[in-house]
Amino acid sequence: MTHRSPSARDPASVELACEFGPLRLQSPILAASGCFAYGQQFAAFTDLRALGGISTKGISPLPRHGNPLPRICETAGGMLNSIGLENVGVEAFLRDKLPFLRELGVSVWVNFFGTDFPTYIDCARSLGNVPGIDVLELNISCPNIKHGGIEFGTVPEVAHRLTRACVEVSAAPIVVKLTPNAADNVAMADAVRQAGAMGVSLINTITGMAIDVRRRRPRIATAYGGLSGPAIKPIALRMVHQVATRFPDLPICGMGGILSGEDALEFLMAGARCVQVGTANFAEPGACPRITRELRALMAELDIARTADAVGGLHPWPPEAEMHDR
Amino acid sequence: MSAAQFEARVTANTRLGGGYFTLELEADAPTPVAGARPGQFVMLRGAWGRELLNPRAFSVLHAEGSRLAILAKPYGVGTRRMWALRPGDPMTVTGPLGRGFPDPDPDVRDLLVAGGVGLPPLHLQARVAAAAGLADRQELYYGGRDHHDLVLLHDFAAWGVAAHLATEDGSLGVRGRVTAALAPRLAQARANHERVRILSCGPTPMLAAVRTLGLAHGIETLLCLEENMACGFGVCLGCAVPVHGEKPYRYCCTDGPVFDAREVRWP
Repeated sequence: MTHRSPSARDPASVELACEFGPLRLQSPILAASGCFAYGQQFAAFTDLRALGGISTKGISPLPRHGNPLPRICETAGGMLNSIGLENVGVEAFLRDKLPFLRELGVSVWVNFFGTDFPTYIDCARSLGNVPGIDVLELNISCPNIKHGGIEFGTVPEVAHRLTRACVEVSAAPIVVKLTPNAADNVAMADAVRQAGAMGVSLINTITGMAIDVRRRRPRIATAYGGLSGPAIKPIALRMVHQVATRFPDLPICGMGGILSGEDALEFLMAGARCVQVGTANFAEPGACPRITRELRALMAELDIARTADAVGGLHPWPPEAEMHDR
Repeated sequence: MSAAQFEARVTANTRLGGGYFTLELEADAPTPVAGARPGQFVMLRGAWGRELLNPRAFSVLHAEGSRLAILAKPYGVGTRRMWALRPGDPMTVTGPLGRGFPDPDPDVRDLLVAGGVGLPPLHLQARVAAAAGLADRQELYYGGRDHHDLVLLHDFAAWGVAAHLATEDGSLGVRGRVTAALAPRLAQARANHERVRILSCGPTPMLAAVRTLGLAHGIETLLCLEENMACGFGVCLGCAVPVHGEKPYRYCCTDGPVFDAREVRWP
């Protein structure tokens, strides 16, 4: 094993700024949708201007009040949630929430969804032509929406048509948030890519369940919910790697259980151009800036000069000679 | 005062009997939790690695300068780990969070109705009232299964706050639930046109009974609720509380944890 000095380069010299399609991000660390509300709550705890960007709570055309409780429970290395896509709706978002986000000077990603084609398209039109919104993150993957919503995220032809319809009405680029619950993520990525999506976000939560044996009932009211946290990280990395390997030119925003700078770097090396931090924000409102600092220090230690240099390019493993020995 | 997240160390973990324990923590410098109102809470998380992600919510029992204390009982995996904490062990604290009870009022009697780990907000209310010379405007109604469930009674005695106790096995105070001790007092207050209000915290079935009783007597009743929460500051939206009104839910962490009993939408 080669010995490495604690830092191969000065952390201050590491260039975190990176490109994501047409966007220039000041850092590859963004806050994930559903785990950062609309940002304001975090301002009391941390400097939001250090973030690469913020993806908002998913916005629908009309406000939604969310699911019955209990809505969350903790599981080993993660948590289950079934919040039910509660949000303030397009009108209140634009009026009450967007001005704050716009002031921060970080990349503003607005996650959005509908319940059918017309409401998705309506939402894309209302949000996609507003100055100060850099990306529309098309949510076709929330497990907590009924009325056949799962089809948007699991049937490639449906995702293709929906993405194309949204791209056509939005000036802001569309990044499609894919679900790990689809049979074939590479096919899904291909479908939305061909429909004009600028990039993809991988992954949303994985549908899961927990049971209270003493009460003999599910731990959350809707029985099934979305599993997040480090428990899902290996699955997320695998999916990012699969899509990145198949479509090296498609910008991927990676996410799933990132708690540290090293986690973030794993996603970059798997092929993501930037990452989102989700569940970590709940326990630690300063998680994103801390992870950014850790990433910078780790890149310095590993002599990686720029974020772009960290992306992809895993060494072949095992080495060919070793394979032949077996 | 706005909340902050800071590191602290355990200075004492005191077993009180009945499975209850107080955890005393100290930070390096004075913290905003020192300004916590009764009913406000902190989120606590130990060095739990990646297995247990989320902090746990605890009402502030006492806080001053760089120190704070909470009351707990082993219930799940987090509180079992906290039970085993020793002086010097680290904890991450976020707080103070939520909105607490109103200040003690010289013109109103506070009937402090407590059960289980719901004692801290009422303990702190009594402490604050005593410091303001209003101990005689506070009355504690405190229930448990047996005498082991009634802890920190000496503090109320020291402050001069009258304590009315109830145990289901009759080992201390009147036999029965806390509502058995409270009900006659409410009838008396109504008969005498006294200005009283109920401040209550405890297990949800107890709060439901207190709410029913308070509403039946037309007495202002404030309930300090508990729900599962991942963040404590209005982001995860896990701690929804069903309410009457325009919206079906409000949030335990930011709208509460103290709610008017009339607002809560319970059966």
